[in-house]
Amino acid sequence: MLSPIQVLCSDITTLSLEPEPFASYTEADIISTVEFNHTGELLATGDKGGRVVIFQREPESKTEPFSQGEYNVYSTFQSHEPEFDYLKSLEIEEKINKIRWLPQQNAAHFLLSTNDKTIKLWKVSERDKRPEGYNLKDEEGRIKDISTVTSLQVPVLKPMDLMVEVSPRRVFANAHTYHVNSISVNSDYETYMSADDLRINLWHLDITDRSFNIVDIKPANMEDLTEVITAAEFHPHHCNLFVYSSSKGTLRLCDMREAALCDKHSKLFEEPEDPSARSFFSEIISSVSDVKFSHSGRYLLTRDYLTAKVWDLNMESKPLETYQVHDYLRSKLCSLYENDCIFDKFECAWNGSDSVIMTGAYNNFFRMFDRNTKRDVTLEASRESSKPRAVLKPRRVCAAGGKRRKDDISVDSLDFTKKILHTAWHPNENIIAIAATNNLYIFQDKLNSEMH
Amino acid sequence: MTLSKDTSMLGRGVKRKWSCLEELEAEGLPDAAEEKQQSASDESAESGDEAGLLPPRSDMSHLQQRQLVLGLCLEKLQRYQAGMELSLRRSVLLINTLRQIQEEMRSDGVGTCTSDVLLNGVHPDSCLLRDDFREEDMPVTCPGCAEGDAESLSPPLSPEFPSPEAAGDQQKPPPAATVSTFSDAVNAMGYLSDLALDDIFEDIDTSMYETSDLPSAWSAGSLWPVSVSLWPDEDVKMRPGSHSSAGSLQSCLTDLNELDHIMEILVKS
Repeated sequence: MLSPIQVLCSDITTLSLEPEPFASYTEADIISTVEFNHTGELLATGDKGGRVVIFQREPESKTEPFSQGEYNVYSTFQSHEPEFDYLKSLEIEEKINKIRWLPQQNAAHFLLSTNDKTIKLWKVSERDKRPEGYNLKDEEGRIKDISTVTSLQVPVLKPMDLMVEVSPRRVFANAHTYHVNSISVNSDYETYMSADDLRINLWHLDITDRSFNIVDIKPANMEDLTEVITAAEFHPHHCNLFVYSSSKGTLRLCDMREAALCDKHSKLFEEPEDPSARSFFSEIISSVSDVKFSHSGRYLLTRDYLTAKVWDLNMESKPLETYQVHDYLRSKLCSLYENDCIFDKFECAWNGSDSVIMTGAYNNFFRMFDRNTKRDVTLEASRESSKPRAVLKPRRVCAAGGKRRKDDISVDSLDFTKKILHTAWHPNENIIAIAATNNLYIFQDKLNSEMH
Repeated sequence: MTLSKDTSMLGRGVKRKWSCLEELEAEGLPDAAEEKQQSASDESAESGDEAGLLPPRSDMSHLQQRQLVLGLCLEKLQRYQAGMELSLRRSVLLINTLRQIQEEMRSDGVGTCTSDVLLNGVHPDSCLLRDDFREEDMPVTCPGCAEGDAESLSPPLSPEFPSPEAAGDQQKPPPAATVSTFSDAVNAMGYLSDLALDDIFEDIDTSMYETSDLPSAWSAGSLWPVSVSLWPDEDVKMRPGSHSSAGSLQSCLTDLNELDHIMEILVKS
């Protein structure tokens, strides 16, 4: 798939208020999550200001071949508002941590969005017809004078401009003491789970006043706390299996059939530490920031600070494949610890056929690894290099002092404030969505639209 | 979004200084090298090694890095006190790093810090984790009382450290800042539980130790490995000093136990 990637969308910066390249943006515009729906027709983004923006793909048309497949804004709404916890004197951020779509079952679309504490189910529906011809009201809605009504008519539905309505259908609140980091919809389409630092809860989509606690790693004495949950996901096909990752770099596969409280894992995936590589930062860089099942359900993809790993569910002792995302940072860990970058949480993604994995890095770079050919590419998501229809040029980072080719970037010149933490891959096609701070980039592989 | 200097230390196309660790390694500044030589040789003296040889360069860098990481760790944990919220994940990772450094320092065999009381008191993690994310069923306790069983002296001790004038007279400013930073962090952890309670707590502590010359003896280096390595001269001087003040130490220990007892009563009421 790693053939040239083309810039798909023209209107790529929909969240910033000013189109100039170097205009400042507010912190609320920073995109905090990106997610395609199950068909790839819709793409949702959440930001730090609690807003959700949904993009819809324009249907391909024969008449205008070059405008086909572009994503345009479909709907924007305020999902979460900032709250204040009076008991603890803490502000609850409205930042959207995760969005997950429900599989579509009727004309409307449903998605779950969550901030640190509250999960909400939103219904997104279209209205393109409206009733006309009321007997008691006129077209502007004013009550008619009854004496002027001489005959009865049946109101008919007439087409109108498309209107997208978004309404909150459920609010799942007050179930998390700690910050929610993940939500995952179960393959049974009836339940979903929400995970915070120490606990995972199982919800029924229709029931908001109750949830089941299925994982609890809070120690009796908080002084003994050494590990937190960093991400969790349901198996794509087996509704009884789910996985959660920890800050110590372990993955635990749990089976809900075994016990009500899944504190005891069915499988523990952990790579033994290399004693020669031990440093003060070993634990921090081993913390798993994201975990994703492959579409097949056979593999797990995890991301820690420097690598992305593919695990086989049948092999717990070590990962199947390890990909170095930006190993040139290994000698810079102390500085990255100093400026807090070492705590950044990068996400990762599979392509639809599970043959390519993708993850973000610094300097607005993102990386893709082909699992079959073992080739990889580094690309940049920036305005300068992303004119519409332009082909992205592969980038290279050379180690300080190493041989430097033209256009290479030296490690010391990397901009660590430009981090690509959130990426998403279309479920069927080679279309990717990259969130770079406040900008959303959508790229497509024009040559090979189909997945292989 | 404005970014502070701290976060954007590496700008685009601009060569910035990396951490002082790399700087010093690369350039081998004479001052730093000298300081580390002193600390290294003192450490070996402390552990009873009579060779007095300079440790190999990698060890010096390791010590230096450890010191740097330690300082940063404390600074980050302390930032929490300034009102900046720290995620639980980050707190846990920082505290684990702190523990790792502590373990390493203890196992390095730094001699004078053998007192269980002293090392036991250094439990920043307990305060931070327990008190901060207080739940419905968690009793509000002050750090001292909660650790009453372990005879912790940390909370009563720590307030005296923020008086750098007492400690600073005999120490070089940077080391004093490090120790006081750590103690501040330890002390500040207590704030997480209940501000009102800790205000009372603070008052009692300060009044107890204002006039005592304990601060100088404690901060001289017998409390923690950090000070031993950083104040080689003072440590040589102070070791006899701390022995001779054992008597006053003893009375202070008694006082501190009484204080713990008083605090327990206050909290339970």
